[in-house]
Amino acid sequence: MNERVEVADNPAAGTSPSWRRHPKLDQWIAFWIVPGFFTLFGIVFVPLSFMMPPRSPGSSTPEIVGFMQSHNLLIACAILTLSFGLAPITNACYVMQVKRMSVSPVFRYTIIVGATTGAIVGMLFPMFCFGLGAFRTGYDPPILAMLFDFGYLAYIGSLGCFCIMWMAFGLAILLDRNNILPKWLGYYTVWQYLTELMAAPVWIATSGPFAWDGLMTFWFAMALYVPWQIIVYLCIYRAIKNQPVHELENAQFVVASSLPATRPTAHA
Amino acid sequence: MTEVAQGQTAGIGEPRRDGRTGRHLPGEGSMWFFVIGDLVIFGAYFVAYMFYRGQHPDLFLQSQARLNQDIGAVNTVMLLTSSLFVALGTSAARSGKVADAVRLFVIALGFGAAFPLLKLFEYVPEVTAGLTPGTNAFFMFYYVMTGLHLCHVLLGLVVLGFVVRELRISPNPRISFVETGATYWHMVDVLWLILFALFYLMR
Repeated sequence: MNERVEVADNPAAGTSPSWRRHPKLDQWIAFWIVPGFFTLFGIVFVPLSFMMPPRSPGSSTPEIVGFMQSHNLLIACAILTLSFGLAPITNACYVMQVKRMSVSPVFRYTIIVGATTGAIVGMLFPMFCFGLGAFRTGYDPPILAMLFDFGYLAYIGSLGCFCIMWMAFGLAILLDRNNILPKWLGYYTVWQYLTELMAAPVWIATSGPFAWDGLMTFWFAMALYVPWQIIVYLCIYRAIKNQPVHELENAQFVVASSLPATRPTAHA
Repeated sequence: MTEVAQGQTAGIGEPRRDGRTGRHLPGEGSMWFFVIGDLVIFGAYFVAYMFYRGQHPDLFLQSQARLNQDIGAVNTVMLLTSSLFVALGTSAARSGKVADAVRLFVIALGFGAAFPLLKLFEYVPEVTAGLTPGTNAFFMFYYVMTGLHLCHVLLGLVVLGFVVRELRISPNPRISFVETGATYWHMVDVLWLILFALFYLMR
């Protein structure tokens, strides 16, 4: 992540303020970007554009046109596309801790690539569909209806892309012998990725509990996902806090005398 | 069932392998967290199913009549028998009869492996007869719920495989690991019993 920036800062350690000499500064910056990112997400999705909770796939044409051609939707899409780059920092924060686990590197590469593919389909595709609909007035209503379907199918129907990614995350926690994250979080992640599979019926049902705004596909998945995201975040906080300084990848730049006694750790 | 098996072991006065006395939670605590949470999640799905069933009782009853009850019943027996052997295997492992435990767990694995095979014989004729998830709300619920349960069964077979491996290659098998696997397998069993009652039998 930010090791090089950190390295550049360290030679001036003697004169710079104490917070800049903090050995975990890079991780903490990444960590505190996460709540900022999710808050921005929440504001843009709910009160600004009312993209979420998802509109019904059975919405009437005037409703779809009204939603797709609103200025707020265009502003929302512009903000989201601008802040898209914050998503990798969020995942980097998690991957830094997965890297400490005594599991095969395959797990962290799966998480990185899974997050990349998932974010492209699940975030960029819908942003372009909704943004395009709002870009120019006077588009044909059937075209707007198709963009509306495309946007929501990409947004909610793509959750399966995250399934393998979170499966790798959950398995890494369960198989890890360094106890970086608690085992029960691994099991919670198993439920979380199983509910991502519920994205499949979205492609079949256009109304009822399995449509993209349905009880089974959206609301139950959200009820599991939101607390999970918060809990993962709190666990990552503890993991960063408990990480011994000598284990940091930039450990060689930290004054040797300040290192605590080492403890043996299993590695992949 | 594991609890019962433990009761039997304690009843005949054999000392536990870890030397502790009194009641304890079989298996690892985190597995019980998983079991309880999984039951709560499935419970929510079952309540949702009952709610939508209540809205279209005739449609659900007519669709339900088209399921293959015979394979469903045979699968129930398979899972229950498999669970019995898992309980016996756990009991054998606790009293130090590792060779017996391996044999019992392999039999349990055999009965468990029959479940997905039979499920295949159930799904394929249904899909070829045009009964797909898109047919109606009942079939969507049916495929999603039985599919989720099938994922649990497949994972359970992998877990049982690891239990057999632990018993066979480890000179001093971890009983808590065996108990953890058994706990998971019994949960898969309980979930199927509720699924079978709700989707195949309820009138």
